[in-house]
Amino acid sequence: MKRILLPLLLSLPLMAADVQIPFEKYKLANGLRVILSRDSATPVVTVYVLYGVGARSEEKGRSGFAHLFEHMMFQGSANAPKGVHFQSVEANGGNLNGSTHPDYTDYFEVLPSNKLAVALWLESDRMRSLAITKENLDNQKEAVKQERRLSFDNQPYATAIVDIFPTLAFKNWSNSHSIIGSFDDLNAATVDDVSKFFKTYYAPNNAVLAIVGDFQVPATKKLIEQYFADIASQPQPKHPDMTEPEQTAPRRQSYKDALAKVPVLCIAYPGPKRRSPDFYALNMLDVVLTAGESSRLYLNLVKGKKSLLGYESNLGWPFASNTDYMHPGIYGFNLTYNPSFSSKQILEQFQQELTSLETTPVSEKELNRARATMRATRIRSLQSTMTRAQLLAQYELFDGNPEMLNTELDAYLAVTPQQIQAAAKKFLVAKRQSVLEVQPAPAEAKPAKPAL
Amino acid sequence: MKAVILFTAAMALAHAQTIDRTKPPETPPLSPFKLPAVKESKLANGLTVLMVEDKRIPLVTLRLVFNGGDRFDPPAQPGLAETVASLLKEGTATRSSRQLAEELADIGASLDAGAGADSMNISGNTLSEHLAKLLAMAADVARNASFPQEEIDLRKGNRVQELAMQRSQSATLANEKLSKLVFGKHPYAQTLPTPAAISSIQRKDLLAYRDKVLVPGNATLVLVGAIPSEAQTLAMIKQSFDSWAAKPVPALPGGDIPAPAKSITLIDRAGSAQADIQIGRHTVNRLHPDYMPLVVATTILGGGASSRLFVNIREKQGYAYDASAHQMAYKDTAIVSVSTQVRDEVLEPALKAVIAELEKMGKEPVTPQELSNMKNYLNGIFVMGLTSQGGVASQLAGMKVNGLPFSFLEQYVTRIRSVEPDQIQRVAAKYFSPSNLTVVVVGDGNKIGPALGKFGKVTGEKAQ
Repeated sequence: MKRILLPLLLSLPLMAADVQIPFEKYKLANGLRVILSRDSATPVVTVYVLYGVGARSEEKGRSGFAHLFEHMMFQGSANAPKGVHFQSVEANGGNLNGSTHPDYTDYFEVLPSNKLAVALWLESDRMRSLAITKENLDNQKEAVKQERRLSFDNQPYATAIVDIFPTLAFKNWSNSHSIIGSFDDLNAATVDDVSKFFKTYYAPNNAVLAIVGDFQVPATKKLIEQYFADIASQPQPKHPDMTEPEQTAPRRQSYKDALAKVPVLCIAYPGPKRRSPDFYALNMLDVVLTAGESSRLYLNLVKGKKSLLGYESNLGWPFASNTDYMHPGIYGFNLTYNPSFSSKQILEQFQQELTSLETTPVSEKELNRARATMRATRIRSLQSTMTRAQLLAQYELFDGNPEMLNTELDAYLAVTPQQIQAAAKKFLVAKRQSVLEVQPAPAEAKPAKPAL
Repeated sequence: MKAVILFTAAMALAHAQTIDRTKPPETPPLSPFKLPAVKESKLANGLTVLMVEDKRIPLVTLRLVFNGGDRFDPPAQPGLAETVASLLKEGTATRSSRQLAEELADIGASLDAGAGADSMNISGNTLSEHLAKLLAMAADVARNASFPQEEIDLRKGNRVQELAMQRSQSATLANEKLSKLVFGKHPYAQTLPTPAAISSIQRKDLLAYRDKVLVPGNATLVLVGAIPSEAQTLAMIKQSFDSWAAKPVPALPGGDIPAPAKSITLIDRAGSAQADIQIGRHTVNRLHPDYMPLVVATTILGGGASSRLFVNIREKQGYAYDASAHQMAYKDTAIVSVSTQVRDEVLEPALKAVIAELEKMGKEPVTPQELSNMKNYLNGIFVMGLTSQGGVASQLAGMKVNGLPFSFLEQYVTRIRSVEPDQIQRVAAKYFSPSNLTVVVVGDGNKIGPALGKFGKVTGEKAQ
């Protein structure tokens, strides 16, 4: 294994080890895990709070609740009333946001480094004493419904990808329901639901606090202790059963999209267990197959056959990163194709590429290219204190090992052609393929002139 | 261990013996901003070179920027510049498209090109060890792009499909219309090409653009990152760029921008789930004394989550997921615009509320607290934007494209901080007055037409 890496080491002298991110981790008495990583090069600090709860923790009849709850986290707390959260961060020259994913929800502030205490004050106040009122809930239900109209209902492909595709790729409700939720489910949410969710999942022992940037470690530790240490811990929440039944036959569905102009195929295969050897092999396979203009899909289908207009893919697609799904996850593709081809032709061409990965090992030259891409992408992403904080916290929450920020790249780079071939044969099999075909629908007949 | 913590903490935070969590913590004021040192030089052929050293991470970010961009599109051929940009990497005199892609991937570098209203940008990024190679490749695509016919045909065909996809988004339609109405005969009016214009582009048009616009005297090369010494870096640059022949620098095309006037346009998009509203007009460019007060006024009105529009339209009324105001600066002018997307049944109260916020900015002075908060916000966002290599490189390139001195960046924070409430009120009265604003709404005409009609005469058209 190491031997294969040697030529790479010689041609690419900067290995993962050359960008070492120092950090320390510890735990408060209430279970809050803390990771501090000091970098005095830029006068900026990122405060990142990761909670071990996401859309897959939702109960039936409450689809979209984790995301609705994320909105509630910006509606004020005992000492920072409604509006103060946004205002305090922005008035101190920073920005902030939160996002909801299948298996986690995160919140962050990026601030000029001497404003660090402001973020700690705000994050601890809402972890301790979120303002859960009917007024805030009703207001945020409307905001989420507006978000749904804007980002989903009024966008081509969004309904297909967010509401329908997961129901094809997954059969267990915990995995297959819409992350944005239905209007009915959003309407049904009560103040009690919010309180219960808060108490169960937003406890310090279900969270990781990561701080990356220019700060003094001892002073920051003291502030963390003062702001967070007396927030009560709660019993560790149970995760729902997310087990997927074994897929034994291909799944097909079509959807007519009135807003779409060009056809799209969404394809999924059940993914490998996170951080297993197959996980790394499939990630490298994905680089070979899809990353950039020297990848196979690009060279052979976008360029060669001129059939694809564009595509997206990764472990976890339609989510942006391979950390979005814990297990079970999917390896997903989105192929936008030229309408002069049929969906059948596109699927055949796509299959040819997969078959080639299964029958012939990737050449060492091609794999080295994928390794160079993987390595440069990783180093580039580490420029940002936000990315470092996010990765450190995620490695802690999901793997209990933030050191993976410094070591995981080696696991990707060590993947061999044989491992890629084996993973292709094991995962990219016809009977476990799910395909959602999205076809543009002709606009409905409407009166010729707008009624003004 | 505990003792050490207490000792250091006592020095750093003397006031924080016990914490009063009912109040926000007291923190020191924002630190003054200092632009990193920029080394500027010029090659004999006229290419301007800017270098900034940043050794935090073993990367170098490259920008090769040409003045003009879309502005050089012939009026009958919008989309020429973007087609040139999209084909630069699709073959040179000595490398095929595939060779370019593979050589870049072999070193894990990126190289992309794009056209903007005022510039064409080649941007790249590499691990420092491969800087010479990235420079050679950037020079090759800028100097020797060959536009193979097969690549042109593929690009044109795919672009027509892409345009259909882009125009299936209501925000794209609204923005396209607003730019047309606001900028009139100026090249800034054109945001997206038509399929017919794309189809009309021939190889000779691309070569002509390359030979006229992509010339060294019209370009700036920016390197930010872990670069070798100035002399060594310059030598590396010269290896790839010194033999580039000097040519006349083309004059920038322009055009008349119409005087702002009130108008309401409804683009009827059957099946829209909500109404996409964009309201705007042109203002002034960065050199004008009204520019900085306008930046602050626009931010107070609709920049970020503590702005008036966000707090009122989203947080208080719940009409929309987002409501914001932007001032987008070009070289010749800027456009100020408000955008929000509301559900059909609240179109009327939402539009009324937006108009009321616009008017209020010109009628009442902003409060000192609001002003100070927003100045801090602008200060912080500006400084944070300059913490990455890409941020520094883009800002420096932008100064050259817009004909501004680097002191514009250095003084930005100070100038923001000196804006007074009376200046804000004056520019708001002048530029935010609804009697001179262009309103564009994209939505289902049957559902929103009657409500929109209450705001004045509506010009209707069908979404394409």
